[in-house]
Amino acid sequence: MSKLGILIKQLYKQKVRAKSFMLMTLLYVAIIGVIMFWSDIKGIFVNEEALEVALINETPVELESIFLTNEDIAFSFPADSKESVYNQLKEEKYDAVVVVTEENETLTADIATYSPLKLNDQSTISSFVQYAGKIYGIQQLNLTASEADKILNSEAIITTTNLNEAVADGKSEDQKQSGIWASYFVGIVIYFFIMAFLSMITTDVASEKGSRALEMLLVSVKPSTHFQSKIIGITLLALTQFTIIFGFLFVLLRFSDGGEKWDMIQTILNELSYSYVFYVLAFLFLTIILFLIIGALFGSLVSKVEEASQVMTPAIMTALVGFYVMISGVANPDTLLIKVFSYIPLTSGMVMPMRIGATDISTIEPIISLVLLIITVIVFYIISLSFYKRSVLTYSSGGVIQKIKTVLKVTT
Amino acid sequence: MTLTLEHVVKKYKDFTAVNGLNFTIGRGEIFGLIGQNGAGKTTTFRMILDLQDQTSGTITWDGTPIKKINRDYLGYLPEERGIFPQMKVEEQLLFFGELRGMKRDELKKEIDFWIARFDLEEKRHEKAETLSKGNQQKVQLIASFIHKPQFLILDEPFSGLDPVNRDLLKNAILLLKDKGVTILFSSHQMDNVEELCDHLCLLKRGVSLFSGSLLDLKKQYGKTKLTLRTNVPLNELEKLAGVKGVKVDRDEYVLTLVDETFAESIFEVVSNGQYIEKFSLDYLSLDEIFKDKVGGNVE
Repeated sequence: MSKLGILIKQLYKQKVRAKSFMLMTLLYVAIIGVIMFWSDIKGIFVNEEALEVALINETPVELESIFLTNEDIAFSFPADSKESVYNQLKEEKYDAVVVVTEENETLTADIATYSPLKLNDQSTISSFVQYAGKIYGIQQLNLTASEADKILNSEAIITTTNLNEAVADGKSEDQKQSGIWASYFVGIVIYFFIMAFLSMITTDVASEKGSRALEMLLVSVKPSTHFQSKIIGITLLALTQFTIIFGFLFVLLRFSDGGEKWDMIQTILNELSYSYVFYVLAFLFLTIILFLIIGALFGSLVSKVEEASQVMTPAIMTALVGFYVMISGVANPDTLLIKVFSYIPLTSGMVMPMRIGATDISTIEPIISLVLLIITVIVFYIISLSFYKRSVLTYSSGGVIQKIKTVLKVTT
Repeated sequence: MTLTLEHVVKKYKDFTAVNGLNFTIGRGEIFGLIGQNGAGKTTTFRMILDLQDQTSGTITWDGTPIKKINRDYLGYLPEERGIFPQMKVEEQLLFFGELRGMKRDELKKEIDFWIARFDLEEKRHEKAETLSKGNQQKVQLIASFIHKPQFLILDEPFSGLDPVNRDLLKNAILLLKDKGVTILFSSHQMDNVEELCDHLCLLKRGVSLFSGSLLDLKKQYGKTKLTLRTNVPLNELEKLAGVKGVKVDRDEYVLTLVDETFAESIFEVVSNGQYIEKFSLDYLSLDEIFKDKVGGNVE
C-alpha cells in the first residue's frame, strides 16, 4: 500500500471507530426518525382531544354544513339560548363559542372563549368563518349551489411561453417548487457537512501538529501527501456518514406508511431535470472539497488543538452567511442577494442550486458559477499546499492573521 | 555511508539560524550536536530531514543530495514527544513501521524485540495517552527506528527519563550503533554526550565553534583539571605556581591549572614525599568545556 493509502486508512479507521463519530451518526439518524414519525410519537405522549366549538347561527342562511367536524375541532350547533351556551362555555363544556350574525349583508362572527385558544386553533376557526363568509356572500347573489361551487373552485389554467430563445424554457410552478425543496435540502446537507467535517479536519491537523506527531510523519511522507490524505480521508468519512443516514432515510421513506412518503419524494424528484442533478452534485462535491482544503490549512496554522475553533470561525461564518442567504431564497429565489451569492465560490454551492432549480436562469450562469468554483478550488489547493508545507512546522501565538504573518516571516 | 554538511546556511528574514555549518558523520558513528537553546540544532536536523530548505550549502548522504534519498532511510525522534495519544502502543508502532515501508510480519518481530527490551510488554495494548511520560518516550523512540533506518536523528532523547530508563536508552543506542546505524543526537546533558559520542559539533547562535572528535576538543584545553585530597590549606594551594583557581568540592580541592606541565611540581609540594589519598589530573569535562565555549569561562 502506498504511503498515501496508509495515511488514509489510519485516519479513516481512527475516525470511524471514534465514539464521537458513532454518536453523531446515531444522533442524525434519531433526529430524522423523530421528524419522520413526529405525529406518531406525539400521539404516544400527547392525547389531544378535539376542540369543542359551539356555533350559534343567527343568520337566515344554513351554514352548519360548512362547519364540518374533523379530528382537531368538533363543531356542535346547540339550540339553547346564547346566554345558556355562554354559561356552558364558562363551565368549560365548550372551548369556544362562535356566534355568526349578519351586518350590512356581510357575515360577522364573534369567537368567545373562557380559556385562551392556541394560535393554531384560532387560525383554523378563522378559516372556517372566512369560508362561510364567502358562501354567505355568494348566496346573497341568489346563485344556485353548482354556480356557487364553480365560483369557489374554478382555477385558471396557466401555461408559460418564453419568446426569448437565449433563455431556457420556462419551468412550471411545480418544477420550481420541487427545485426549491430539493435545493433547500442540498443547502442543509452542505451546511451540516461544513459544520461537522470542517471542524473535524481542522482539529485533526491541529492535534497532530500540537502533539508533534506530525513531525514524525513528515519525515517519511511529503507535506503534500499528508495534506491529500486528510482531505481524502475526511471525504470518505463524510460519505460513510451520508450513506448511513441516507440509507436509513430511504428505508424509512420507502417502507413506512406504505411508501406514501416515498411517492411524495418521487414526485419532487420527477420534476427535477438531469442537468439540475448534475449541477447539484458538482456544487455539493466541490464546495465540500473547498471547505476541507480551508479546514486543513487552518489546522496547520495553530500551535495546539485548543486554538482550532478560533481559526475556524471565519470559515464557519462564511458558511453561515451562505446558509441564511439560501434560506431567504425559499421565499423568493429571484432577489439580487441570491444572484450575487450564487457566484461567490464559498457560498455558490448552497445558493446556485436554488437558482437553477427554482428560477428561469439562463444556461450560461450556472456554468460561470461552476467554473469560478472549480478555479477557486484549484487555486486554494495550490496556495494551501504551498502554505501548508511551511506552516505545519511553525509554531506561533496570536490570531489567524498573526499566525500567517509568522509563517511568512520564518519561512521566506 | 556518510552524511556530509558543507557550508550550510539557513537564513530567515531577520536572523540567521545556521551559519556555514560543516561536519561529516561516518557509518555507525554517534555524533553529538550540542549547543544552547536556539543555537540552531533543531533547524539543522530539519534541514537534514528535508523538512526545511537550507538557504545555501549542501547536505549529502553518500554523495547524493539528501532530498533525493529514500526517506525511509531516515529515522527521527523529535525534541517534543509526538505520538498519537488515542492509538494503542502496538498499533502505533505498526503504523509508523508500515508507513516507512516495512512488511507487517517483519515489523511484528521487531516490535516484539523492542517492546521486550524496553520493558513495555504490559503496555502493549494500552493507549499511548495512558502511559507515563517515560514510557511514552520509549514508545516514540522505538517508533523512530522500528523501520531499521540507516541514519537516525535523536533530538534530546534523554530529557525527562529516570536513570534506569536512561540506561535502557543508552544501551539501545549502542546496540543500534553496533548494527551500523549512523546516529546524530543532541542533548543538554553533557555526560550523556561524553559517554556516547565519538565526534561532536558545538554550536553557538548558528555558528560551529568546534567540530571533530571529543578527544581533540579536550586536547584543546589539555589536562588542566587537578583533583586532590590533601591537608594543605586552601590559601597555600592558591599560591602554588601554575594554579589559576581552586574550588572546594566537599573534602576535595579542584584546581584549575594554567597547563598540565605544572602538575608534577604541585604533586611534589602537596605530597612532600608522603602518601597522598587522591591526586588526579584530567581533561576538563565536556560540561566545563561547553560552559567555557558557549557561556563563559570555566571556574
